[in-house]
Amino acid sequence: MAKTYKEINDKIKNGNAVVITAEEMVKYVEENGPKVAAKEIDVVTTGTFGPMCSSGAFLNFGHSDPPIKFEHLWLNDVHAYHGNAAVDCYIGVTRMVDIRPFEYGGGHVIEDLVARKKIRLKGNSYTTDCYPLAEIDTEFTIDDLNQAILCNPRNAYQRYVCAVNSSDRTLYTYMGKLLPNFGNAHFAGAGALSPLSNDPNYETIGIGTRIFLGGGIGYVLGEGTQHNPKGRFGTLFLKGDLKQMTSEYLRGATYPEYGTSMFVGVGVPIPILNEDLALKTAVSNSEILTDIIDYGIPRRNRPNIRQISYEELFSGEIDINGKKVKCSSLSSQYHARKIANELKEWIEKGDFLLNPPAETLPTDSIYKPMRQSLELKFVKDLKRKAVTCYEDCEIKIVAERIINKNTNHIIITTHENKLRGIVTSFDITKAVAQDKHEIKEIITKKVITTTDNEPIDVAARKMKQHEISALPVIDEQNHVVGIITSEELM
Amino acid sequence: MTIINATVPLGLIKNIDDYSRIINEILKHNVSFNILKFSTTPEGINLLLDVPEEKIKTITESLTKNNILVNKKGRVVIDEDICIDCGACISLCPTDALNFKDDLSVNFSEEKCIGCLLCIDSCPRFAIQESR
Ligand code: SF4
Ligand code: SF4
Repeated sequence: MAKTYKEINDKIKNGNAVVITAEEMVKYVEENGPKVAAKEIDVVTTGTFGPMCSSGAFLNFGHSDPPIKFEHLWLNDVHAYHGNAAVDCYIGVTRMVDIRPFEYGGGHVIEDLVARKKIRLKGNSYTTDCYPLAEIDTEFTIDDLNQAILCNPRNAYQRYVCAVNSSDRTLYTYMGKLLPNFGNAHFAGAGALSPLSNDPNYETIGIGTRIFLGGGIGYVLGEGTQHNPKGRFGTLFLKGDLKQMTSEYLRGATYPEYGTSMFVGVGVPIPILNEDLALKTAVSNSEILTDIIDYGIPRRNRPNIRQISYEELFSGEIDINGKKVKCSSLSSQYHARKIANELKEWIEKGDFLLNPPAETLPTDSIYKPMRQSLELKFVKDLKRKAVTCYEDCEIKIVAERIINKNTNHIIITTHENKLRGIVTSFDITKAVAQDKHEIKEIITKKVITTTDNEPIDVAARKMKQHEISALPVIDEQNHVVGIITSEELM
Repeated sequence: MTIINATVPLGLIKNIDDYSRIINEILKHNVSFNILKFSTTPEGINLLLDVPEEKIKTITESLTKNNILVNKKGRVVIDEDICIDCGACISLCPTDALNFKDDLSVNFSEEKCIGCLLCIDSCPRFAIQESR
């Protein structure tokens, strides 16, 4: 038996619509079957609350006297984008304060705005005949603005990957702090509460769908950027009136050494029009699968370790190659649940009606990588032959090599050409001064290395991070196959 | 067992091995204990120790007599007003001091915290601070 939007809305208006959350729906369908569910349940609510970097807000300040046409402007010292008319701007959540980055950014400005705190506006202009003011420095609150529109090009990922780190150092990523040697795992997404996972073919979600956004009412503008329906990584483009929203559901965030972002609360209602939708909204955490991805390899195609269900992710511990690894979410399941419940209350109270989308989201668009006109260069393209010495040779021989080969770095190997360490010309100078004779007294054994197939930029970042000027190139068996120094990178 | 934090103050350190004074002093009391963390800080050499509850008093007294500072510092505090219950810190915590309540909000069980501080820079809200 099929229902229409009108029938559901009439019930909402009369206050007798039956609304449950996507989590409750799992149990309901399990107990009563999809047929009964389709008849009895009118709306299923979803929710998610996670860091969403592709977020920001359009603000309009009204005109000053004399008028100004911004060339640059800052909100609490965060540079806002200005490329529109005189007093419009877009504040993006990942833009950080120039003076103390990694502490405060655009997401925090938006949180402060909706908390109705005073925001400092500084701006300058090259001045025109119609906009003569050159500089402005003033304070405002959200109530002083004409429009404050949250406008997020990519939110509410259908699902997301689980990140781990196989490398030997701690990584600070947009997936949070990842401990070395698979020390922990982070994932994101609300699993069975995730909006798009409950309508995976986008039958009810599309342009104009009315939703919960940041504690107020928002709308789906269409597919989000990087929308990838075939990979089951659908996304949403969202907008809403910032003036209605609350700072409980829009929270600035900072990922150390990565940057700033904002947690956004999104809830989408799904009308149960038929049995098929009843079944789809009953999707459980064990049925939603994603991949464990190794962020230790800094490439676009990072190694995929294995498939995993959200049920296993939520259990707090996952198995990676036989090792038990602690796992937690970056997004708040507590708030996701709260959002689904709040939206449920709105609908039950008759305050919130459902509407069919003007157009549903595409189900066949393709997500492409960036076209790079310059060919990517690898270590193997720029490496040179390493100057090596065996670990048991005398310091004098090493010193001679440094002079003869005109190099600063000597790689020390075993007789089988396996890497043992590195000695620099400075180490030799020190050895002479301190009257040392054996390599083992001066060798640096903990060496940062690279491999043939590492992109040059990744090798360069390693050198910068560790403040070193050369990396031995090794193969999988730890054999030395070359060296790359900062000179080659120039 | 209870966790204490013993510090050889900076001015009294002559040798990097001076932390062994802390260990030798405790061993006099014929107890077994765990060293949870060894660190050098601007205040001096610092050992985080898990010692038997009933010996706390005697151990503290004998360490203090040897100019070794003893306190319970080294754990963390969480500001619940800024925490958004994301749970990002939980996977970093080696002892389950950070965990979920039944309603999936985040809970901090102070008694389990060993002060490893791994969680501090995992928090996107700066909600976790080292206790002073
Ligand atoms: S300091 Fe260490 S033990 Fe304490 S809560 Fe943080 S991660 Fe857990
Ligand atoms: S990481 Fe910070 S905000 Fe998230 S749950 Fe832990 S303390 Fe709270």
